[in-house]
Amino acid sequence: MPASELERSAGLDELSGELRRRVARAFGRSLHIRTVDTGSCAVCESEIRLLAAPHYDLHRLGFFFTPAPRHADLLMVTGPAVRAADNLLLKAYDATPDPKVVIAVGACALGGVYPGDELVHGAVDRVLPVDVFVPGCPPSPLALLQGLLVAVGRLEERVSTLSLDLDTGSAG
Amino acid sequence: MSHAIGALAIAAAGAWLAAAILGLGATRRVGLVASAVLSGVGGGGGVVCGVLLAVHGAGPTLTLGAGPVGGASFHLAPLAAPFIALLGLVAGAIALYAPWYHEPESGTAVYLLVYNLALLASLAVLIAGNVVAFLVAWETMALLCYLLILRHHTRPGVAQGAFLFIALSEIGFLMIVLAFAILATQTGSLDLATIAARAGHIHAGWRTAAYLLALCGFGFKAGLVPFHIWLPAAHPVAPADGSAFLSGLVIKLGVYGIALFGFTLLPGGPGWWGVATMGFGAISAVLGILYALMEHDLKRFLAFSSIENIGIIVTALGAGMTFTAYGQRAIGAFLLIVALYHTINHGTYKTLLFLEAGVIEHAAGTRDMDRLGGLIHRLPRTAVICLIGTVAIAALPPLNGFVSEWMLFQGLFQGFRISSHLVGILIVIAGALIALTGGLAINAFARAYGIPFLGMPRSGPAAHASETRQPLAGPALLAGACVFLALGAPLVLTALDRVARATAGIDIHSKLIVPKLTVIPAHTDFSGFSPTYLALFLLAISVVPILIFLAGRPRARSRRPPVWDGGILEFRPRMQYTATTFANPVRVTFEPLYRPSVHIERASDDPAGRSGPVHYRFEVMPIFERYLYRPLTRLAQTLANLARPIQSGDVNLYLLYLFVVVVIAYAVYAT
Amino acid sequence: MAFWFYRGLRRGIATTRYPKTVDGWAGALPSPPAFHSARLTVESVDRLVAECPAGALSREQRELFVDLGRCTGCGRCVELGGGAVAPSGEFELAASDRSALVKRVPIRGRGEEHVAGF
Repeated sequence: MPASELERSAGLDELSGELRRRVARAFGRSLHIRTVDTGSCAVCESEIRLLAAPHYDLHRLGFFFTPAPRHADLLMVTGPAVRAADNLLLKAYDATPDPKVVIAVGACALGGVYPGDELVHGAVDRVLPVDVFVPGCPPSPLALLQGLLVAVGRLEERVSTLSLDLDTGSAG
Repeated sequence: MSHAIGALAIAAAGAWLAAAILGLGATRRVGLVASAVLSGVGGGGGVVCGVLLAVHGAGPTLTLGAGPVGGASFHLAPLAAPFIALLGLVAGAIALYAPWYHEPESGTAVYLLVYNLALLASLAVLIAGNVVAFLVAWETMALLCYLLILRHHTRPGVAQGAFLFIALSEIGFLMIVLAFAILATQTGSLDLATIAARAGHIHAGWRTAAYLLALCGFGFKAGLVPFHIWLPAAHPVAPADGSAFLSGLVIKLGVYGIALFGFTLLPGGPGWWGVATMGFGAISAVLGILYALMEHDLKRFLAFSSIENIGIIVTALGAGMTFTAYGQRAIGAFLLIVALYHTINHGTYKTLLFLEAGVIEHAAGTRDMDRLGGLIHRLPRTAVICLIGTVAIAALPPLNGFVSEWMLFQGLFQGFRISSHLVGILIVIAGALIALTGGLAINAFARAYGIPFLGMPRSGPAAHASETRQPLAGPALLAGACVFLALGAPLVLTALDRVARATAGIDIHSKLIVPKLTVIPAHTDFSGFSPTYLALFLLAISVVPILIFLAGRPRARSRRPPVWDGGILEFRPRMQYTATTFANPVRVTFEPLYRPSVHIERASDDPAGRSGPVHYRFEVMPIFERYLYRPLTRLAQTLANLARPIQSGDVNLYLLYLFVVVVIAYAVYAT
Repeated sequence: MAFWFYRGLRRGIATTRYPKTVDGWAGALPSPPAFHSARLTVESVDRLVAECPAGALSREQRELFVDLGRCTGCGRCVELGGGAVAPSGEFELAASDRSALVKRVPIRGRGEEHVAGF
């Protein structure tokens, strides 16, 4: 991550509790989501689309999809931030009114698939300030729901206390 | 008072004659301005004369000498009053416009001479008191308008347009002469007032023939379908103020002729005269606006729109005649008032729009709507004035077009009061056609205003249009007149009611304007509205959104990002609607009427996206030219060819003709 | 009334109740690996690092770093891990800090002690 991003996220950690509470108060139980595809393979989009299906039904949690960034509270960004989509991504970010939340969804958006070169940034947080990262390739709709609920502060993050060590169980 | 009216008319005529002579000095700017000033003064006189004549109800008569056909006499009849006022207003507006529009040169000098004489000739037509004066003035006016159109005779299309104008004008004139000839011979007098008095005793067959000849003959000048083909050819090629004069006034002279025959010279005709007139009018209205929607040349579009509005006026006249024939004289008079009111209204806003089309053409270099755009930023004051004219002609409240069309509908909807069910149904059908016209007109004028003025410029010259040194005063005067005609509708209608009283013989003032400035359609139990209060109300409630905004605007600092456009790189002019595409729904719906010929050419056979440019050309089939005029002209040429052997050029044959004729003459004289 | 309505009434509500309860099948979705740190050796870890197509695994001294952000859940490490690697069944992986997605697993196995697998 670029150095400025590290500093910024360090600051956010101190505020993260306060920020979470304020964001939760702002969005409460009604959040409008606008998805932005910066060059993904569209499998993340299939999973996102399933959120509106009866099985996962994000409407029961008060989340809604909107096509207009003007009406959006949260930008859900997929894809490795292809440079040709810079204009689109930054315009959508600009058009979304504050306060807004940006979540990066999928391994591509987290920098896991493409290295940065002259065609692609490689990770969304090299273009926009990202608030929540949702890993997966693609993340299942349940993972997406968890990511959304973490983003609005209705669930606490679990990954920091997660342990991948089956023998000792200590979080890494 | 009567003398004052006469004096004003003579003063206006004199001013225009002087303006014509001064116009010869328009090779210098001084001469141009002087001619315009006098023309404007004449216009002012015309307006006052018209208004006074309408209010007073009678004017003087002036007879000039006796010649082989009885000399010329002039009589100011109330029916001509609205037309005289309109003539004055149009002349005044054009006078304020001409000094900025024309360049001082020899062509302009001749043009101004011809134009002012045409004003004089139009006045003469309106105040003609006998047949000779009318016909001479009419033909003079037609010839002068022909010369007017030929201002830029070296440009392409001008000569053809002018030729179509004069050719159809002459055919109409022939019919008018025949109509007057029938009336004059059957009543034994050339004086119009005497003809009107004696016309009731003419045999019904002659009366019908005279009326139909007059309807068709004046229909050529007015631009009724199918006599209209000269309008879209001649209007675009004349200079802007010439087109404004043609469309604002000259075609109204055709309406004046029809009203003269229908209400003054041959009143009390059978109902089917009115129905036929109404039929011509309704069909002209619908076809006019349908063809207008396919045009992207601003002036051709306005020309077709004039055909549409003339159709509306003639529908009102025809319906008025129908109602009168079936005994509903109050509604008949009401519809005559509607026709006269719409005449004034249309004269006002059509003149405005043609003058503005001239401004746009000078500023942006083109009349093609598909090359214009964004002019509201480059020509802001022109845009406001043009908006007033557009709202008026699209018949939107609160302006004058709305008032007159509302009144027309209220008159037509009372067709149930007629005893004949068939005629009642025909009147309702006419009302439905006019309603269709109204809807299409809103579409057409949203297009005609939106494409050139709104959005982004579609061509370089449009992007650099400039309002400096463009005429504003003339169009602004007309815009003010539109607002006055709407807000002051009760005043105008009172004056027109006096005209109707003098012409149709029935006074409906109590059934026209009721307390609180409300207009009602000749019956108290039908409907009513007040143009003045409606305008004030609309103004007042426009405060409500302002209050909502003030109460609900954000208190905190706000950010102003650009408009969300879907994230495209940049918005280009070619992404916008063009005039052609905006009218596409109408084109598709009415395709059986347009019978278009569509040509699509691809640069190559590669699949779409790599095939290079695709050219799409769409042409409306000219039905009337192809199926009416061309067969008739071919017939005329065939007949002429058949007669050609007579003119063999052989002197011996000619001597034989002389001999035969002399023998026959002796034989006839001897018996 | 639509046939699906009756069918739905018979079959019951299929919508998940997340976040109140986690569905039983959620653990069977593709998920990042979990490791038996006692069975990992430096050689086996190096092999896993080389085989991971997403580059989510890396080794520093005797520590294995797993970047959850890069893991695609393909399962190659589970297959080649020889019993040392199993799917974690975790899906609640959202993080507000990118560095929180890089987990550390100590390598505590001895090379000679390892028997089964490869």
